[in-house]
Amino acid sequence: MPLSHAEIDEIRNILRREPTVEELAMFEAQWSEHCSYKSSRLLLKLLPTEGRNVVIGPGRDAPAVKLFKDWLVVFKIESHNHPSAVDPYNGAATGIGGVVRDILTLGAKSIALLDMLYLGDPRNPHANWLIRGIVKGISDYGNRIGVPTVAGDAWFDPAFNTQPLVNVACIGIVRPEEIISSGPSPGDLIVIVGNATGRDGLLGSSFASKPLSEDVDKDIGAVQVGDPLTEKLLIDAIEVIRKRRLAKYVKDLGGGGLTTAIAETAADYGLGAVIHLEKLHTREPLTTLEILVSESQERMMIVVEQSKLSELVEVLENYDLMYSVIGFFTDDGVIRVFYNGSKVAEVPAKELAKPKPIRRASSPPMEALKGLKPLYSLPPEPRYDDAILKVISSPNVASKRWIYEQYDYEVGIRTVIKPGYGDAAVLRLLDGTNRGVAVKGDANPRYTYLDPFNGAANAVAECFRNLIAVGSRPLAIVDELNAGNPEKPEHFWYFEMMLKGVAWMAEELMLPVVGGKVSFYNEDHTGRQVKPTATIVGVGRVQDVTKTTTIDFKESGSYIILVGVTYPELGGSEYLYRVFRLEEGEIPKPRPCSELRNGRFVYKAIKLGYVKATHDISVGGLATAVIEMSILGNLGFDIDLEKVFAIGAQRIDEVLFSETQARYILEVDPKAINNLLKLANRFGVKISIIGRVTDSGEARFRKRDKTIASIDLDLLRDAYRESLSREIEGGI
Amino acid sequence: MTSTYLVEVIITNKKGVRDPEGETIHKHLILRKGYASVQSVRTGKYLLLSVNALSGEDAIRIVKELCEKLRIYNPVVHDIEVRLRG
Amino acid sequence: MGKIAILKFPGTNCDEDVYYVVKNVFSLDAEIVWHKSFKSVKGWDAVIIPGGFSYGDWLRAGAIAARTPAIESLVEARDLNIPVLGICNGFQILVEASLLPGALLPNENGKFVCRWVRTVVERPKGPWLSMAREGEVLDMPVAHAEGRYYVDEKTFYSTLMKSPLIRYVDGENPNGSLYNIAGVATEDGVILGLMPHPERASESILSPRGFKAGGRVIFESLRQSIKRGW
Repeated sequence: MPLSHAEIDEIRNILRREPTVEELAMFEAQWSEHCSYKSSRLLLKLLPTEGRNVVIGPGRDAPAVKLFKDWLVVFKIESHNHPSAVDPYNGAATGIGGVVRDILTLGAKSIALLDMLYLGDPRNPHANWLIRGIVKGISDYGNRIGVPTVAGDAWFDPAFNTQPLVNVACIGIVRPEEIISSGPSPGDLIVIVGNATGRDGLLGSSFASKPLSEDVDKDIGAVQVGDPLTEKLLIDAIEVIRKRRLAKYVKDLGGGGLTTAIAETAADYGLGAVIHLEKLHTREPLTTLEILVSESQERMMIVVEQSKLSELVEVLENYDLMYSVIGFFTDDGVIRVFYNGSKVAEVPAKELAKPKPIRRASSPPMEALKGLKPLYSLPPEPRYDDAILKVISSPNVASKRWIYEQYDYEVGIRTVIKPGYGDAAVLRLLDGTNRGVAVKGDANPRYTYLDPFNGAANAVAECFRNLIAVGSRPLAIVDELNAGNPEKPEHFWYFEMMLKGVAWMAEELMLPVVGGKVSFYNEDHTGRQVKPTATIVGVGRVQDVTKTTTIDFKESGSYIILVGVTYPELGGSEYLYRVFRLEEGEIPKPRPCSELRNGRFVYKAIKLGYVKATHDISVGGLATAVIEMSILGNLGFDIDLEKVFAIGAQRIDEVLFSETQARYILEVDPKAINNLLKLANRFGVKISIIGRVTDSGEARFRKRDKTIASIDLDLLRDAYRESLSREIEGGI
Repeated sequence: MTSTYLVEVIITNKKGVRDPEGETIHKHLILRKGYASVQSVRTGKYLLLSVNALSGEDAIRIVKELCEKLRIYNPVVHDIEVRLRG
Repeated sequence: MGKIAILKFPGTNCDEDVYYVVKNVFSLDAEIVWHKSFKSVKGWDAVIIPGGFSYGDWLRAGAIAARTPAIESLVEARDLNIPVLGICNGFQILVEASLLPGALLPNENGKFVCRWVRTVVERPKGPWLSMAREGEVLDMPVAHAEGRYYVDEKTFYSTLMKSPLIRYVDGENPNGSLYNIAGVATEDGVILGLMPHPERASESILSPRGFKAGGRVIFESLRQSIKRGW
């Protein structure tokens, strides 16, 4: 997005003269939405960012949270929506590259990747091509750098046919005393390490800050090819650099390239810098302007004391990494850029780094009414065998095996709860103890489309439940808000509401939002925004990885317990969409008090060893949750819906498929049931014993003696395991 | 009357787009083994199609069309060369 | 020196995993050796080439690493009777270096596959399989894009059927390997290469429900073999 007239005037004011072309390019890159958050900054202040576990909050390339007293967890979320729409393979791959480098900047070891993908209809040829390319891009890049992709989220909706959302997150761990955070001082050298700078990725951030043009070929400047080998070498080298304490500060050259890296570092530490552009290693002859704003991938800035330069260089050379020493920091707050001795730019770092925030107009569109009106009349009740099979085989519900089997989720030998087995992934720390970390990413684009405030709040709650369900204590979250064009008030409204929803629920659940990203301009070439989506990634503390719980039923004869109250909340449900093609109605209410109470109860019950399997209830409701537990455990069940503690439900489907929040299913050994009931009583939690695990090979729902649905487990297993693959492989 | 033509499709990254695979083969294999005369390496993908068509030009036209329509290559990143073999 | 060398190339990513398992699970002495520092097999008790994507797996998986001085020096291992194990990318490198027969082609479905599978050991022998029983089932995960083993019929019958062999259980072949081959060895079993990851299957905490830690026997065999020969 080119600079506005007002912004150019502002630049003249800052410089008190006409800017040079180089200076204009620097401002354009840095003041892009992507780098400066100019449209979102005022609202982002609403997010709760503090907490007793927060060590580094928002501001750096990645935040750090105390996992244990001797371990920090560093995690970050990124979007690569626009690049992935144009070149799905490289777009998704370079998204992984960027988020991993953010983790590297603190010296942390990357131990897990998550991918949250909001994709088009697999049967649409273009969407199908995008899906394959995106997954392959993540697979080829993530696998090659040796960071396991262990969890995520995948959603399929025609709204994303041409503009998918590719949100990726990386989780790292580091010892508190080893974190790279001393910061640069005047005189310290600026070393750029990694790939040679090229013409690829020129002004990529301003590309991400405008809608896709109809003729995608024109966007060629922004296409970048991932180079996972160089990334892996950067990972290896920075581990050595951290151990030998050779760097004072590390920063990724991401959006905005060299300009942003230097401007933000200088501004954050009240410094200036002197840069000699001709010293930078380049792949081809470049103009000064191109060098300043190129976003070539796999490059990092390492700040080093003069006396340690030779030791640093030795490490870099051992790993065959290219590097150049391009300048040094100064104490006067001004960035001076030279090319072969002549000055091409001279700008104050602080003013460059942070443009004035823009207050954007916000007003709800008529379309938003779809999610605000209650469902007055539901379609007639279907045959429930059919309805259940339809929901289980929905790509939004069915196993994501087609995706995660393309990822090396085992590398690092940390992955204790693997994809498909638990509500969250659990990784051990591998430090001689049994401690670990749980991670999960969640969103529901349908919810945020119908009701951005409550939908975003529900995404936070779902993440919280997923972390609880494996037996971890939720610590903190990061968010990625994917919205439309911020210049359009009816698009900006969705962003504003999502942000407020995240802020509210995070505050209620005492989950600090330690970092996040905003992605605007997610609209197709007709100007229609894709479904606005709030993606939440959370981390949880695991005291003992051998005491975590997975989804799968373990033993015939166990009790099936429903935690929480069920309300008739079918608005925006997968059931309504999949069975009746309805996408409307009030979505389930966020219930923060119940979330906290029920969550603490489930956490305690797992800790006390009462629980053999846990699953939170979300998309697809109670029916989906128990069937998943049954398929994965290869055991049947017999459930009496009459036993479900439900308020206001008048129909069977309002119990089976309601997506009421704050609920879990537990498998409990008959010997532990009395203890569990006592515990529930103590916590004031409503639980219902709804049935038993069986070895009948059948999933059975009844109402007292009347069978509501009875389905062969093999049929369900086939639908659950194979549906997504059939949609994608046979989808054209 | 149609006859069968062999049509080759070579897909490479566009000139301005990096090719880390080619760069790695060049740097870590060819140059390291002393072939200093080799200036650069670009990699690509090769397809050989056997096509029934009225003429060679017709065969090329069919292949070019399907490459576009079926996204055999991504015009944003790739160049293709379509030619008759033989 | 009495140590196991774990060879690391640019792009190797299972070196630390193998190191952890060899050292902490099996109490063996090991060292991760950067390929530039690896001059000779002499002095090492055994050499392990771990998984990953050496040189990005470009050209063909393992092809570029196979032409490095480190791998070229491995030829001596055969004469000196020093055990060499190639896991996943390590197997690909050994095949590319012609230290083991055959080739590893892209998976049948064209995709990377990460999955636990069951394999069976045939004619166990040598330092890596001395403790395994004939027909023993080993559960291990695979994670690769180029694991479809190919070999001509003649070599298969004349060489491989006389050597230790690891095969996927019928119906569990994840990549379309010929003869269900998951791993092959020299006739004496001193050099072994396999696609599944024994280091990921050496602790019960990492084995998903229904699978056992089938990689243990390989490292247990090595421990015994280093002490007492094989």
